[in-house]
Amino acid sequence: MRKDCRTEKQNRGKGCRNRRVFLLCLAALFLMLLAGITLAGIVEADAALTTDFSRKNLAPCLEYPFGTDWMGRDMFVRTLAGLSLSIRIGLLTAGISSVIALGLGITAALGKYADGVIGCMIDVVMGIPHMLLLVLISFAMGKGFWGVVTGISLTHWTSLARLLRAEALQLKESQYVKIAGKLGKGPFYIAWKHMTPHLLPQLLVGVVLMFPHAILHEAGITFLGFGLSPEQPAIGIILSESMSYLSMGRWWLALFPGLLLVLVVIMFHVIGNAAGSVLDPGQAHR
Amino acid sequence: MKKAWKRAVAMTTAFILLVSGCSGKENDSRGKGETGAEAGEKREDVIVVMGPSSEPEAGFDPAYGWGAGEHVHEPLIQSTLTVTTPDLKIGYDLATDMEVSEDGLVWTVKLRDDAVFTDGERLTAEDVAFTYNTLKDTSSVNDFTMLDRAEARDDTTVVFYMARPYSIWPYTMAVTGIVPEHAYGPDYGEKPIGSGRYMLKQWDRGQQIILEANPDYYGESPKMKKVTILFMEEDGAFAAVRSGQADLAYTAAAYSDQTIPGYELLAFQTVDNRGFNLPAVEAGAHGGNDFTGDVNVRRAVNLGLNRQQMIDNVLNGYGSPAYSVCDKMPWYNEAAKVEWDPQAAKELLEEAGWKEGTGGIREKDGVPAAFTLMYPAGDSVRQALAADTANQLREIGIEVKTEGVGWDVAYDRAIREPLMWGWGAHTPMELYNIYHRAPGEEYAKYSPYGNDQVDRYMDEALACGDLEESYELWKKAQWDGDGGIIQQGDIPWVWLVNLDHLYWASKELKVAEQKLHPHGHGWSIVNNVDQWEWRRDGEN
Repeated sequence: MRKDCRTEKQNRGKGCRNRRVFLLCLAALFLMLLAGITLAGIVEADAALTTDFSRKNLAPCLEYPFGTDWMGRDMFVRTLAGLSLSIRIGLLTAGISSVIALGLGITAALGKYADGVIGCMIDVVMGIPHMLLLVLISFAMGKGFWGVVTGISLTHWTSLARLLRAEALQLKESQYVKIAGKLGKGPFYIAWKHMTPHLLPQLLVGVVLMFPHAILHEAGITFLGFGLSPEQPAIGIILSESMSYLSMGRWWLALFPGLLLVLVVIMFHVIGNAAGSVLDPGQAHR
Repeated sequence: MKKAWKRAVAMTTAFILLVSGCSGKENDSRGKGETGAEAGEKREDVIVVMGPSSEPEAGFDPAYGWGAGEHVHEPLIQSTLTVTTPDLKIGYDLATDMEVSEDGLVWTVKLRDDAVFTDGERLTAEDVAFTYNTLKDTSSVNDFTMLDRAEARDDTTVVFYMARPYSIWPYTMAVTGIVPEHAYGPDYGEKPIGSGRYMLKQWDRGQQIILEANPDYYGESPKMKKVTILFMEEDGAFAAVRSGQADLAYTAAAYSDQTIPGYELLAFQTVDNRGFNLPAVEAGAHGGNDFTGDVNVRRAVNLGLNRQQMIDNVLNGYGSPAYSVCDKMPWYNEAAKVEWDPQAAKELLEEAGWKEGTGGIREKDGVPAAFTLMYPAGDSVRQALAADTANQLREIGIEVKTEGVGWDVAYDRAIREPLMWGWGAHTPMELYNIYHRAPGEEYAKYSPYGNDQVDRYMDEALACGDLEESYELWKKAQWDGDGGIIQQGDIPWVWLVNLDHLYWASKELKVAEQKLHPHGHGWSIVNNVDQWEWRRDGEN
């Protein structure tokens, strides 16, 4: 009888909370998995470079679950190291991008003129295809690790900056910010004390959701040969190398690393959504 | 349940058999059909696949790399004065006689009088002189600075006045196609006129080149009347032969364990070598490397490499050990050969003060025995060779790090760090380019090294009046019993392997005997395409 008493609204709330708990658990699990991959990749960095011609071109087996390539490198270890490298590059670039985005977003709220300049900057960078700009920047930086990091950092801040800018403009019109202004607080004080705390949740979710983009673009630019040097165990290199062996029937070289890349990207997506449902006030009240 | 499973297997097998059976039949029928040749009649055309980089970017103009240049081959469309023979000595094409003055400064070449350009004009000494005088000014790929001028004495005699003695001039003549003075212009590369075995019929950039036999050719008329050359990447070439669309296609060692019905794998020996430089001086303003600057280190590296194992590992057995840049050439000094001896290599390192350190890597005064070995990014064979070199040298206590680099930085970095190179040409000039000091410089061009005695032998070889005698001097430059560039000498370069050039060829096709291919897996194969033949039915 008591069950029936429960209103429909409560029921929905309960289901929603259950879903959120489930999502959070899943996110926590994925986070641990990703951390595990990252750590394993760092530990196995040397093993990923080891060539052993006595075991070349092996199909997947118990000892080498992802098979080996034409230089006898263990593709499982290599894939782990590649993903680990991708995740670390993703972390670094997403971090730098978000700092740029936050800085620009808040600056935009300072005044009309600044807003115009920043809006224009965002439009210009967004107007050029990511990959093209990435290739240009990476090439100009002499390729390699720093080329990729600079390239991705300088291209991925735009959408987040636009989001933060809109948020900051809204905050600027709110009463408490106006009052703070009337009380004689400077624009920088207001930006730091009153706006940044409000923007943090957006920023955090934005960073996590930027991750998959950064990773995919790192793989993409490396695949095209404008990124990391070819002995590095990067996922893009693994995939571009595997292309020439597909016609020889060595499917495992492309399949497993590609699948794992997709999985990692999905995991980050789930984590981002989970973080969003907890941190974003708009979603948290649903 | 079990039955269903069995049936599925049976059906799959049947399907595979059906498909492979069909494709096999296609291959067989293709050999005779398609080109319209009736049963029993021999085909007189051939379709050859080369890599995309073999397509001559600037067309068929010898001034911009056709025939001459980085990858030498016979120009087919044009005639040359001389040719290289199968043992890579000198034979005649347009020339009938050749004389060089005592001081090596005047070459007089007699020409045959029956050569005709495909537009009907006769080929005279004027054309020859014009070709060389033009190339001297415009050639973007070949060095003609040793030539002062060429003059036609009469219709069939041309005289070359040299700026400095150059005994191996006939090797330059063997790759320089003669162009017609009356029809040479900026668009010559696209519409070449020559007196060679073939004429350019059609050129679809990025796709194919069609050559047709020259009916007025002065020599033996080509057996293959039409040669179609397609340009494809390695996997495309493999797919093309598998579907029977080509008669002969280049391939790489990585594909050598595959089989294609109706085709066989041809392997031709080459001087297309791979090896790395060891900067032979200590680090300074003009390059050098403190570790490889030690001659004992270089000797130990050379001794510590098991070349046969490398060939088995990297090339699936399709290659031969290399001990110099010019293995098997008339100017190769066989003293360069070394046997793999890791024990002796270790002793050399011990002697030089490189003692066993932590983790098996040797040290001297706290400096680890290590270097970076670069390879051109994207070249999987050189990458694998570099990796195997690193594995083998670790055994004798040297740490090698491999790094892929682009050609934009490779040349500059190579004067300080070893780079995996590919060389091999049909001229001793390559020895000069690699080991002789660059003109006016302290060291050789590609990797810092300089030895007065070696330089002197090579200068003498160039000044020598007689080609046969000059071979001996080139050999002495490599090793004269006392000093040189081999194991017992300064060993500034370590040579690993000569790659075999591999091709898938239709079993019906008789590919004529090949001379040792030079560096570049491209046009060399069709050097003698005019002598190729199709087997008649049942013929072996």
